[in-house]
Amino acid sequence: MKGQKRIKVLMAMPALESHTRGLFTVASMFRDAGMEVVLLGNELPERIVDTALQEAVDVVGISTYCGSPVVFGRDLLKYAEDKGIKKNTAFIIGGIFPPKDEPTLKEMGFCGVFPPGPGATREKIIACVEGAVKK
Amino acid sequence: MSNQRTTKDILQEAAKNEARIPLYNPKALEAIREEFEKWKATSVREQERKNWAVTPFAIMGDEIPRKLLYTPLEVADLDYVHDLGFSGDEPYTRGIHANMYRGRNFTIRPLPGAGSPEEMNSRYKFLISQGATGLSVALDLPSVQMFDSDEPESRGNVAVVGVPVDCVQDWEVIFKDIPIDKVSVSIVTHYPRNTAILFPMYLVMAEKRGIPWDKLPGSVQNDFIMENVVRGAIEYIPPRDCFRIQCDNIEFIRKEVPLWNYITLNGYNLRENGTSGITSIAVAMANGIAIIDDMKRRGHDADWVGERIAFFWSFGNDFFSEIASLRAARRLWYKIMKHRFGAKNPRSMLLRCHIQTSGISLTREEPLNNIIRAAYHALAAVLGGTQSLHVDTYDEAYSVPSERTLMPSVQTQHIIESETQTTLTVDPLAGSFFVESLTNEIEEKALNELAEIEEMGGIVNAVESGWLHNKIARFTEREQQQIEKGIKKVVGRNVHQSTDAELPTIEVSEYDEGKASRMIEKLRKLRKERDNAKVNKCLKELRDACKRGDNVTYYTLEAARANATEGELRQAFTDAFGTWKPPM
Repeated sequence: MKGQKRIKVLMAMPALESHTRGLFTVASMFRDAGMEVVLLGNELPERIVDTALQEAVDVVGISTYCGSPVVFGRDLLKYAEDKGIKKNTAFIIGGIFPPKDEPTLKEMGFCGVFPPGPGATREKIIACVEGAVKK
Repeated sequence: MSNQRTTKDILQEAAKNEARIPLYNPKALEAIREEFEKWKATSVREQERKNWAVTPFAIMGDEIPRKLLYTPLEVADLDYVHDLGFSGDEPYTRGIHANMYRGRNFTIRPLPGAGSPEEMNSRYKFLISQGATGLSVALDLPSVQMFDSDEPESRGNVAVVGVPVDCVQDWEVIFKDIPIDKVSVSIVTHYPRNTAILFPMYLVMAEKRGIPWDKLPGSVQNDFIMENVVRGAIEYIPPRDCFRIQCDNIEFIRKEVPLWNYITLNGYNLRENGTSGITSIAVAMANGIAIIDDMKRRGHDADWVGERIAFFWSFGNDFFSEIASLRAARRLWYKIMKHRFGAKNPRSMLLRCHIQTSGISLTREEPLNNIIRAAYHALAAVLGGTQSLHVDTYDEAYSVPSERTLMPSVQTQHIIESETQTTLTVDPLAGSFFVESLTNEIEEKALNELAEIEEMGGIVNAVESGWLHNKIARFTEREQQQIEKGIKKVVGRNVHQSTDAELPTIEVSEYDEGKASRMIEKLRKLRKERDNAKVNKCLKELRDACKRGDNVTYYTLEAARANATEGELRQAFTDAFGTWKPPM
């Protein structure tokens, strides 16, 4: 990606999420792909959006295992819209959630939804992020 | 502590003074060696001669190379009585009870799922009517992470993965009309801080019902590795303070609630988070050693505290290695208690454990395959001699287990117990050249990792310095690459993908905002009606006790009596100790 700006990613998870393995694994995938990663960890949706704004990131990656990804996702994207960063930021989400939440998360504005499995390989996650940032 | 002798030094010293009686006579071994070399040269393919030892690559595996064939030569100095003995007898390699499963089957301990306090109360009553003699409490995420149901962080999480407990009142609802002096209750408080908060609330509930504390059976987890290393969190307190709360809880419970198990050294979540089985053994034992050292400083001997220490392990795919690791862990803990701490009470030398089958080893692809995987994990746990078992459900990679998927997991255990006939004979793999050799290797490697931790000054230093965080990060990164490259084979993911992998129905309960609002309303009422001046006084006294170095659990108890909430107590701890950032 010579001449291009490095993609900057914010990696975060809901305030109370206790599982960290997914977050760290995907964060290191982005680093390996030459992207700049801001590892925020656990935070409230508002704080995640504020940080995304301050750090001027291209991508916000969310890892979630427990709790409701739909309730969290809706709050997150609403704040993002309020702060005017929803349009020019790519939001992706991965982790453990039921299949029926996948379309809901996509509809609300996550451009990449990655439950574990064949759809969540390193290549596919990177491609999704690169594609979304180009747009 | 760094200038002190390591456990390895101590055990080596002890071994020197013991006369060994080898099982195999030198002449027989010589004959075997001669025949073995002949056989290897003539009957074994060149390819196998070259790759005699192959490294196995399993998820969370120990990667101990496997030879093509094991003979007495691998365990040439085996001393039967000294190394293996008999079940229920030193060194407990063969199991902690003489009669093992004939005496008492492994406890089938499924987690009870999620719901409001009222729902959990009816579920427990149902379970008891079905003959349950033990109950488990899985807490919801806010309660695990010590947030009240009405804090903004809790939004979307109330009563999702477990039951919410904010205050004494919730325990009263959950256990209404349940004979907690007869039924043992395992409260899955992972962390020292939430143990120090929620367990005293449980005691106050018992007190209000007139049930004496010395009649209460049950357990808490209470492991500072869980709080400082194996979790994501919005705030941490420093490891040294968290370790102290862990020990305060132990001392308090040991004195005040004599039947209660005050610590479960959790190798499970650590290993699932990203370590080998050997590291999970070494870390759990390093914590156990630090606890006993700390209790000695407080004037309690090793037997006083050792008696009720329990362990919790993850069992994964590397079948024989899992079995051998439990045998090795039992022998190692016995040696630590006996030689390092001079324990006299046999009970404190026993490694009692609960095993949960590995969740990280399960896949979202072809989920029914997970039933097969978990069955192997469970069989290994039984062959290894566990006391208690939880088999993961096949929808683990989809959602919080539903009641429907719980059934095959419970039945897996019943099949092992009732159909496989594997529980009739104790430690059936003992004497296998392979299994004994693996057992020795795992024990040696765990002891080496333990020595590494001790040379850093012990487990608290190893956490403070980031050594353990780092080790996990390196392990998971490497494991991820191994899976991507197909070095670690995962059926359905990177090998043998099925072409028509139809998904079974995965039932998922809807998030119910109503449960959260009822909890929030209850808190609003509580805060209005209680004596808030008294609450504030108790919180101040807790903060002072934290700073003074008094046993904090006596102070959280007073605060619980005054109806303080979990979130308020968390905050008091954080105010007193300050926050800590994990060294990532």
